[in-house]
Formats: sequence, C-alpha cells, structure tokens
Amino acid sequence: MTVTQLLPAPATPRRNFWRGVLRVMRRKPSRMAGVAIVALFAFMGLFGPLLYPSPLPRDDNALYAAPSWAHPFGTDFEGTDVLALVVTGTRYVLLAGLATAVITVALGTGIGLLAGFHRGRWDTVLMRLTDLQLTIPGLPLLLVLSTVWKFTSPLEMGVVLGVLGWGGIARAVRSQTLSLRERGFIEAARGLGLSTRHIVGRELLPSMAPYIAMNMLIAVTGAIYAQVGLFFLGVLPFDANNWGVMLNLAVFGGGALTSAAALPYLLAPLLAILLLTLGIVLVVDAMDEIFNPRLREE
Amino acid sequence: MRRLAAITVTALIATVTACGGVGGSADSGVYTTIDGAKQIDATAPINPFNPQGNTFLGYDAMTLAWPKNDPVDPNRFYPGIAASWTVTPDQGEVVIHLQPKARWSDGKPVTSEDVRTSIGLAYTQGGTAYAVDPKAAGSAADVRVVDARTVKVTQGASKSNLFLRNVLSTVVVPAHVFGHLLPADFWTTLKAARGTGPAAEKAKAQITGLAEKVISFAPAKDVSAGPFTLERVNPGEALLVRNKHFYANQNIAPDRVKVLNYTGNQQIWNYLISGSLDSAPFTAVPTGVLKRIRETEGNEVVKGFSPVAVSLAFGQTRKPYDNVHVRRALAYLIDRSQVTKVASPEAGTPAKTTTGIHAKSAQAWLGNGIGELDQYQVDPAKAAKELEAAGMTRKGGKWAMPDGTPWKVEIHVPASFSDWVAAAKAITSQLNDHGIDATVLTAADYTLYLDELAAGKYDVGFWLMALGPSPYNIYQRIYGSANGWQLLAGQLTHVPPGTQGNWMGGPEIIDGINPGALTSRLNAANPDEQRRIVGTLAKLTNQQLPVIQLYDYVNTQFVSTSRYTGWPPADSDVLRLPAGVWMQLGMIKEKAGS
Repeated sequence: MTVTQLLPAPATPRRNFWRGVLRVMRRKPSRMAGVAIVALFAFMGLFGPLLYPSPLPRDDNALYAAPSWAHPFGTDFEGTDVLALVVTGTRYVLLAGLATAVITVALGTGIGLLAGFHRGRWDTVLMRLTDLQLTIPGLPLLLVLSTVWKFTSPLEMGVVLGVLGWGGIARAVRSQTLSLRERGFIEAARGLGLSTRHIVGRELLPSMAPYIAMNMLIAVTGAIYAQVGLFFLGVLPFDANNWGVMLNLAVFGGGALTSAAALPYLLAPLLAILLLTLGIVLVVDAMDEIFNPRLREE
Repeated sequence: MRRLAAITVTALIATVTACGGVGGSADSGVYTTIDGAKQIDATAPINPFNPQGNTFLGYDAMTLAWPKNDPVDPNRFYPGIAASWTVTPDQGEVVIHLQPKARWSDGKPVTSEDVRTSIGLAYTQGGTAYAVDPKAAGSAADVRVVDARTVKVTQGASKSNLFLRNVLSTVVVPAHVFGHLLPADFWTTLKAARGTGPAAEKAKAQITGLAEKVISFAPAKDVSAGPFTLERVNPGEALLVRNKHFYANQNIAPDRVKVLNYTGNQQIWNYLISGSLDSAPFTAVPTGVLKRIRETEGNEVVKGFSPVAVSLAFGQTRKPYDNVHVRRALAYLIDRSQVTKVASPEAGTPAKTTTGIHAKSAQAWLGNGIGELDQYQVDPAKAAKELEAAGMTRKGGKWAMPDGTPWKVEIHVPASFSDWVAAAKAITSQLNDHGIDATVLTAADYTLYLDELAAGKYDVGFWLMALGPSPYNIYQRIYGSANGWQLLAGQLTHVPPGTQGNWMGGPEIIDGINPGALTSRLNAANPDEQRRIVGTLAKLTNQQLPVIQLYDYVNTQFVSTSRYTGWPPADSDVLRLPAGVWMQLGMIKEKAGS
C-alpha cells in the first residue's frame, strides 16, 4: 500500500516528459521551425531520390537556365534542375553526417567515460591518446588521405571524419565524469557493490545523455561542413548532386562569383547547408531546455 | 600635434602609393597584362632558366626567333634576336645572323658569344636540341662562332626535322652576366661527354651537375635584350620599363608593362571585367563570365587556332577496353557536339572524328582523306552491334561484361580542369542513357592525375593530344612513351604494358603496322614521307581508337581597345605568342587621346 503510494504510475512521467517537450517547443516558434526543417531534410534524405527519375532529366537547351517555376533554382551546366540535385544529394550528406556523429560520439563518450571513471593509468593513457588525436590536423590529413582513398560511400566518409573528430567530446565527457563520480548517487551505487558496467551504463551515462545528444547533433553540422568543404576543394570523387561538388562547379566551372548565370547553382546548396545547420541549432536549443532542469524550471 | 599631422600625411601618401600597386589601367604609357605561363613568385631570381624566374618571354626574355602558329609547318618563324637564318635541307646545319642593332639594356652589344654561352647553359638543363647524349635525335653536335654576329650550329648524326625549331627557341642571355656559370673548360668537357666510356660518363655528370647552379643563379639586376627590362617585382605584380637599347625600339608603344599576378582563373576574369588588362593570353572562361567580360567597354575576344585537342584515352590492357569493339561502341555513343556544348562552348569545337590531329591540321595533312574515315556519328544501333561483337551482354537494360559481371565505366579527370570534369559528366550521362553504368572520378590535381595515369591505375581517362604543329609531336602523344614506345639515345624500344609509364598498353604491331616506329620516323622524314605516315597513322587511330577525340581547343584571347589598337586579327599566326612579341613586330599602338 505504502509502495503504491510512493511509486508514481509508470505512464505518468513519460506523459509529463512529452508534455514538457511540447511546452518547450511551443515557447519559441523557432524551435518548431527547427524541428520542421530537420524533418524536411530527413524526408529528403529518405525519400528524395524517389521523387525524381533516375538519371535526372537534362536539357541541352537550358544550360545554366535562370530560375523559373519549372526550375526554382535554375539548372546546372548540363541543364539539370538544381533543386532536384539538392534534394537527391541530401542522402549522402546526411548519411555521412550521421555516421560521423555516431562514431564521434561513441568513441568520444566511451573513451571519456572510461578515462574519467577509472582515472589513474587508464586516464593517463586514454588522455594522451586524446591529446594525440587533437593534435592531428584534420583537413591536411584528409587532403592526403583523399589521394589514396576515394570515399565513394558516405559511410567511408563518416568513418574517417568520425575517427578524426572524437577528441573534443572525449575531453568534455571525461570532465563531466570526474565531476559526477564524486556525487552521492555514484557513491551509493559503489557502496551497494554494483558493477562498473552498471555504474557507467546505468548511472553515469543517462546523466550525460542530453549533453551527448546535443554534441551528436553539433557533430552532424561539423561533418557536413567538413565533407562539403572537401568536395568543394575537388579532392573527393565527383558526384553531380553532392552539395560540395555543386559549389565547386558553380564557382570554378560556372564562374558564379563573377557572373549571375551560375549564381542560383551556387546559392541552392549554400541555402541547403544554411537551413540544415539552422534547423539543427534550433533543435539543440530546444533539447537544452528539455534536458536541463534549471532551464526547465524557469 | 605637428608630428601627428606629419605621420598622418606620410601614412596617407603610403596608402595612396600602395593602392596604386595593382591595376593602374589609367596610367598613360602603361600596358597591363598577365603571364599565362606562370604565376609570379617575387622571391624567384631574374633568371629564364628558373621555371619560376622573374623574366617574361617576349618582354625581357628573348629567343632567337618566335614560332608562327602554323597548323602544319613547325619551321616558320618571326625574327627575334636572330635577324635571319639559313638551314640546309636536312637541317644538319643552321647559320644564325643576329640583329645588327641588338644591344643589352646596359648598352653592351648582343654578340655570338652571348648565343654560344646561352647554348652552353641550355646543355646543362638538357633536352631538345641540347641533349648531351650524342645519340639523342636532333641534338646539336657543334656550336661555332663565325663572327661577332654569326653563329653556326651543327646537328649530330641522329637527325630530327625539329632541329631548326629547337635551336631558334633558344633563350639568349648575356654572357657578361651568366657566363661565369660555365667553367672555363666547359666546351672541352661537353666534347668529352659526347664520346663514350667512363671519361664521357664523368664529363656528362659534370655538365648535368651544373643544372642546379644555373637554375638558382640570381643576377642583381635584369639585363635584357628585349623591349623591356624588369624594374621591380612584388607578390602582386612585376613592373617592366622600356629598354632604350632594344633593336626595334621604334615599334614599342608602351613605356612600361605591368604583369599582374593571379591565384586562379577567377582573378583573371575579374581583371578582365574591371577592364584592367590590355590583353590576356588563353584563359578558360565559362559562357556567363565571357558575356560579362564582353560587356566591359573596349574588351574584345580574339580567337585562333590552337594545336591541342582533348580525348578519352583507354588503358588497353584492362578489360573490356582491350577489345576494339568496346572502344568503337563508346565512340558511337558519345555525342561530341553535346559534350563540347556542355564543357567548352567558347574554347572548343567538337572533333569531326578521331584522327589524332586537330581538325584544322587534319584538313591540311589529310585533305579529302578525312571523309573516308569513320566519322563515329552517334548511332546506338551500331554501338549495340559492336558491344555484342565484343561479347558484352545486356541484362535488365544494362550492359554487362561477357561473363555477366557488372560493367562500370569509370572516367578519370583531374578536379582542377573544370571543362574536363563537365565533359566527363556529360559523357557519363550519355552512356547511362544507353544502359552503360558510368561514373566520373576525380584526382585532386593534375600532377597526381598524371602520376596515377602513368602507374596504370585508370581504365579510362582524359588525355591532351594533337600537340602540333610537328606531326612527330602530334602522334607522340598516342604512340609515344604513354603507349610503350621509348626513344632513348636514338634507339626506339617498346616496353611491356604497365611498365615505365606505358599505361595505354596498346599492341606493338597492329595489322602489320608498328605505329610507334612510324611516329619516330616522322622525326626525320621529308614532307612527302611525313604526309604518307600521317595518313597511315590517322587511319589506324580512327580504326583502333586508342583514344576517342572529343573536342579541339580554340585559342581564345582577350584584348582591350580602350588604350591600345593594332591587335592581331582572329586566326593570326602570332596569336599564341606573348603580347611583347606583338609589340616587337610593331602591331600594338597607343590609341589616340588615351
């Protein structure tokens, strides 16, 4: 009887949580816009290629055509609709971004947790490894790697970007772990003789989950910049609907910075990158409030 | 307060001076251009032997003569430091008569000794007419000063009909500045090096050992025999001023020449749009940018013959490209007009067919013979027959290898060549339309691209060809070292595919013809024999398709009539020469009232 009075009904916290999420989202309309943008890009990534015929139609008589109802962002050097290129190119960008984020977060969190929780030798070895990773200049290494590795799949791209990007998160997670491990609930867990796996997996990790989730989203934006930058520099394989390749061809092939003819071809992928980043930032803003009790109380 | 005012005034003057660094198009008597051959490195020496050297051909760097842009004949020239020359029919002996009034910018006369020293310095760099190896085709065997203004250069036993061209292309430098780079016994050492045995090898090593010393030599100031001399250079520009001792000073209109630096085509386009340049050599320009350039008052486009074409080349040892039917099928599927329209509408014309030669040269070499060759017009039905003849199979609308495995055409291009990237993409789109899975792969830069190509890593890649006007140079691109034929010390050998840069991997003998041997023969053949050989090679290339010729380049240059007039007309034979040479020939005049 006492027990049933003390423990709340299992469905209530979840319902309260989603109600809280809704409340946080409604508080700023920009957050709803962020979710809508991310959802739109997710939809484009999942179903974009299904919306257009493959290969995309070309029109020899409309090379670098100006924006029109038929081609809202004009056409490219082959007379292909630029919007179609952006939409069908979303999948590669998102997949590479997600793969990067997953690898960055998994490696960074795992290493940070282990180092922070065990301290001592584990900490020394893992943090020196982290320092080493942080000293590796990412872009020059990628430029060198691209001469031997063609990165034809987004997952390959994601693996490399992820392996080069976990250092910052590992450092941050270690700091959080060092702080949390001194808290009472961890002391209690230790006192109860719970296993390290339980303490790390069930006690420490959930406390840091919001932080990790936000880092994951931010890692997606970082990965998008990195991969688009590499494609823009022309060091990665050519794929006409890749946003970076589009930027490269618009600038160097179409002279978009000099002539207005290829400007829509340049602006479309730029706008896509800007929108996606904006969407992610707005979602991160919402997540911050959802998971941060102090902000929530306000 | 007074000090503050003085500082402010000084700063203002400094700012105004600095701002006047680049452009300066309104300056009277200043001619502004760019050097199409290199970007400026302000730290490089004033030395024409240094690839980055701050000397500018046609302005302060002079050759004996300037080659005319002839589609067929490589041995037609405008005078340079040489006023005239005579050559024996077999080009065994070239006698050069220097300009009688030629003087260096320090007032000293240009003499035969300067030419001899320049040739000696050229030997240290090797190649063309000045290879130390006596067996090398077309190398000079003897350089003799006949009198103060006459030099005789004799060709070695292994003759080349490019000897005159190579000799007259010699850059002449002052002996009183560069001469000390050659040891006193240089000519004795050279003679020894052209012999045999250990002593010759030692002498060869001594001569080639001088190369670095010559390249790195940095004279304190520019001593030029050209119409201008370098006054100063900074990372943004080089400024050249009139050489009052130039032998044809009366022909030179500008008092100064500014050579602007650039980091890429984008910057050249911006110079042209802003009207800063009086002329610019060939620059790749997209249609939209060309329109903007034309809109600038005074800007004009001059087009002419460019002996260069681009092709799709095959690694012929790699399946299925080892089968000529596959190569022909691809030729029947590629719409060259559409490729040119997408990739190079302003600076290219679609190849009429594959001959290995630029269409304009082909007309001169082959005449009506072109019509007898397969034109490879787009014909999917013929392509399908060729693919079937090669044993290729069709599954679900996609062509597959004879054993049923998927066939993926991977076309390689360097990422920095935007017209090639666009052309490759257009070809893959066309092939995909016809059921051939094709994709473009890019290499980070041209150097890496050539390395990977030479290492045999590519099935299909873009390749520059038809580099005329010499027929030997034209066919050397297809039946030269990239295809296994190597001409070393006068001996032609064929190395196996995949070794020593043989990435094309074509057979040594095709239908009883050795195309590499025929190409080598072009080096020494008389005009009639050359014509017969070119006919044979064009037909063989058309049938065997080691490459598919895509489009022929058009030399597209820019001039501005705002400040100067007298520009060479379209298709002029001086178009590929620097504007400094146009001035020497008396072509460029200051516009009245400018």
